[in-house]
Amino acid sequence: MKILKSILIVSLIIAGFSASAQLTGKQIVERAYSRPTGDDQTSNLTMILTNKSGSQRVRKIKQFKKDFGKVEKKIMFFLSPADVKNTSFMNWTYDSDKSDDQWIYLPALKKTKRISSDSKSDYFMGSDFTYDDLGDRKLEDDSHKLLREEKVNDKECYVVESVSKDADYMYSKTITWIRKDNFIGVKKEFYDEDEELFKILTIIKVEKISDFLIISNSEMKNIQKNHKTSMVLSNIQINSGVSASKFTERIMMRGL
Amino acid sequence: MENFLKKFLKTPWIVIAVTIIISGLFFMQMRQNLRMETDLDKYMPQNHPAFVYSDKAEEWFGINDGIIVAIENKNGVFNTATLDTLKQLTKRLQKMEEIEKADVTSLYTADNIIGTEDGMDVKAFYKRVPKSKQKLLQLKTNVENNEMIFGRLVSSDETVTIIIAEIRDDVFTQEFYKKILEVTASYQTDDIKIHVAGRPIVEGTMALLGPADMQKMVPIVLIVILLVLLFMLRSVKSTLLTISVVFFSTIWAFGLMAAVNIPIYAVSTMIPIMLIAIGVADGIHMYSHLQLFLKENHEATKKEAVVDMIQHMWKPVVMTSVTTAVGFISLLTSQVYPIKYFGVFTAFGVLMAMVFSLVLIPAGIMIFGLPKVKKSNKRETDKNLGLANNFSKQILKHKSVSIFATIAIVVLSIIGMQKIWINSSFLDKFEKDSEIVLTDKFINNHFGGTTTLNLILDSEGKNDVFKEPQVLMLVDKMQTQVENNLQIVGNSFSLTDYLKRMNKVMNADKQEFNTIPDSKNLVAQYLLLYEMSGDPENLNKVVDYNYDKLNVTFQLKSDNSKAINSTIEIIDSYKKDFEKQEITINYAGSGYKGLVFTDLILEGQVMSLILSLIIVIVLLSLMFKNFKVGLIGAVPITITALISFGVMGFSNIPLNSTTALLSSIAIGIGIDYAVHFIEQYRINASISDDKLLVAKLTMAHSGRAISFNAVVVIAGFMVLIFSVFPPNRQLGALVSLNMFTSFIGTVTIMMVLLYASNLYFKKKEK
Repeated sequence: MKILKSILIVSLIIAGFSASAQLTGKQIVERAYSRPTGDDQTSNLTMILTNKSGSQRVRKIKQFKKDFGKVEKKIMFFLSPADVKNTSFMNWTYDSDKSDDQWIYLPALKKTKRISSDSKSDYFMGSDFTYDDLGDRKLEDDSHKLLREEKVNDKECYVVESVSKDADYMYSKTITWIRKDNFIGVKKEFYDEDEELFKILTIIKVEKISDFLIISNSEMKNIQKNHKTSMVLSNIQINSGVSASKFTERIMMRGL
Repeated sequence: MENFLKKFLKTPWIVIAVTIIISGLFFMQMRQNLRMETDLDKYMPQNHPAFVYSDKAEEWFGINDGIIVAIENKNGVFNTATLDTLKQLTKRLQKMEEIEKADVTSLYTADNIIGTEDGMDVKAFYKRVPKSKQKLLQLKTNVENNEMIFGRLVSSDETVTIIIAEIRDDVFTQEFYKKILEVTASYQTDDIKIHVAGRPIVEGTMALLGPADMQKMVPIVLIVILLVLLFMLRSVKSTLLTISVVFFSTIWAFGLMAAVNIPIYAVSTMIPIMLIAIGVADGIHMYSHLQLFLKENHEATKKEAVVDMIQHMWKPVVMTSVTTAVGFISLLTSQVYPIKYFGVFTAFGVLMAMVFSLVLIPAGIMIFGLPKVKKSNKRETDKNLGLANNFSKQILKHKSVSIFATIAIVVLSIIGMQKIWINSSFLDKFEKDSEIVLTDKFINNHFGGTTTLNLILDSEGKNDVFKEPQVLMLVDKMQTQVENNLQIVGNSFSLTDYLKRMNKVMNADKQEFNTIPDSKNLVAQYLLLYEMSGDPENLNKVVDYNYDKLNVTFQLKSDNSKAINSTIEIIDSYKKDFEKQEITINYAGSGYKGLVFTDLILEGQVMSLILSLIIVIVLLSLMFKNFKVGLIGAVPITITALISFGVMGFSNIPLNSTTALLSSIAIGIGIDYAVHFIEQYRINASISDDKLLVAKLTMAHSGRAISFNAVVVIAGFMVLIFSVFPPNRQLGALVSLNMFTSFIGTVTIMMVLLYASNLYFKKKEK
């Protein structure tokens, strides 16, 4: 009896511990969002768009990214296809509610133009990723709830449901599988306004570069349109000291 | 054959019981399996190259017919209430099960691409409904400055704005249409009126209205025929037995259709019409013979009378039915399945009508007794005989009148035929003042047009061809020429419109840059820019993924064949220019498919008309063992068909799937008259040597029966003139006309030719 009693007490204590150690949905997402990825990043991006009949558009881009604290700046140069070579694109994302600043340089027009868009729901270069999907979504925009914990590909994951606070937002909710050990996402399901499954994001490869975990291969599939986008990063360099002066209209025009 | 038929006379009850039992079984089949086919795509031959290509193109570019919901406010649409209605209705339609969310387009969903001093802006026109005067004015200016929206989604007089909801071909049902009407009606106010139009609505309504109207009219037609028959035959028993032949043969035809699981197509609703027109003929001729026999043999028993009837009539009944059936079977040459089925099942019905006439009518007489022949009829019979005598005498005396009249009519008909035009329009089938036509007109007055023609330019696998400026400039030139030369074309839309807009916007909104950029790289860069800032889905509707196929959409204000053909004509004049760039011209979309489909039907009709004419001549020649008879017998049907087409030409009735089928009736019925008349003439010629007497006797016997037959069917079909569905009205008028000309042709020109040919008298003369 004594033994039984002590087992009971011990298990109660353990249960109590785990309950108090249990993270909330919001905390999990916060840790996933704030996972360190370095102050700057240089990489080659290969974007492959595939439509429902299997036709593909392949785009190669050289991109630079630098975190300035309150603002994150990104600049991209098209390497191919040939007819858009040297087209460049710059994006400044602010921590505050201020909407992004964006510029495009079209070499055939020899002009840099500001482009502005009123929505974070816009698709990024015709892909299946919106700007939000690519990491611009803010923690406070959704209410998060931990649904359950389960194993995906032998890794323990939290399953978190995030419901948009804005009823007009393009996703009614998303469900994310986040690894318990390193808070990297494994998979994410997006549901449309009618709460039907809309898109699935799958993380295919995560690389450790200069002690940072970087997602180097991911695929977004639009279930309803049967269209998908694969994004593969190569030649990734972290904290290589990208110059702050790289992110200007002058550089956009000058090219690589 | 005679003996075989006589055997049935011993067991009349069994004959009737078997008929009823089999009919009952067929009826059960009909109730269980028969269904109506309303999807017009199912009518088209799926493996025809034009359809195969069109279907593929529809898949590539997501080409679908759209329901158009127009919101009208006479005081202008740029006010809070109307814009709110537009938003609510757009969202409501997006939520409907039958409609894909992304397939709903309106000012609320549209992107506004505008140029600014230092760049470009892509925004929704509005998300929250603007309330302040200033914001409403801003929206108004934005719309007016965007030629991709102004005149397309908002009318240029700013009193109407539209929502386009594309739906797949197979989702339209009567319930869905009702739901759309209910939903839209609930948004109407004193100021805001809502109209619904578009091809799915027109197609759906037509597929349902035609047969529904026919269902309503056929019983009335039957009643009228019943009454006229009663008046002609003066016997309830005879009338009911004659009608029962039509009734049972129709049930058997549709029962068989159900048993082999073939749905009812729109043309199948013509089967009962054909069977009514053809099925009563056998009965009328048999009773006519019976009555004449009884007048001469008052003492005859019913067995003797029936045996005589079978003896004399089985041959012409079999001959007429077989020739008619073969005429319908020739429709198998058509490429269109519903028409093949129509031919086969009508032929089956005609043969069943023959069997019932030969078996059921005698059995009926055996059971219910002979029709009463009143003695008081004597004077009338004399009058009738006198009329027939007089008529044949006059006709034969003035042979040249018949001959010249025939020649004149043939010449006139051929002139009239030149004016015939083919029409695949659905809208033209509706009443000019019907809701559906008026709404369509209203939208056509305010916008580009409710009918779309898709031109697919195809470089057949050469990527990036449609980024080449010279190719795009050619497309733009063609679009401009079509728009400027044809009033009927409201506007056109393609990749060029996006590029011109982008070029203008990227050059500080200056009008002189509303052109195709002259470098391929700039085109590519604009397209990339559009992908970054606009909805890339929009581009998928105008150009394919590898830029090797282009979809140019033309909006037409009419769906009739003349409008579509005149557009195609101008486009085809660019064929050579496109060929130089190794680009082929193809078409797609429902309007085009309708056009090809109608052509196919007509091609098939002309083929089967010629074929059945040849078959009929051969069959008649074989039956009467004389080629000349074959030719003479074909005269009334040829004239009937010619007059039918001639009248259509003069009275501006276009050829369409319904009216084209009428030539089959002309042959089917016309040949019956000729066969009965010639057979009787032959029999009489074997009795007498007096040519004039033979003609007179034939006129009194067959001529009388033919006139009965014509009067009955004409009276019945005249009922259709009161139909609410114009094609059914035309059908009624033309069937009546065909019956009339067949009848007149047989008793005038054919008799004259028969008389002049000395057939059946030659041997005797020698």
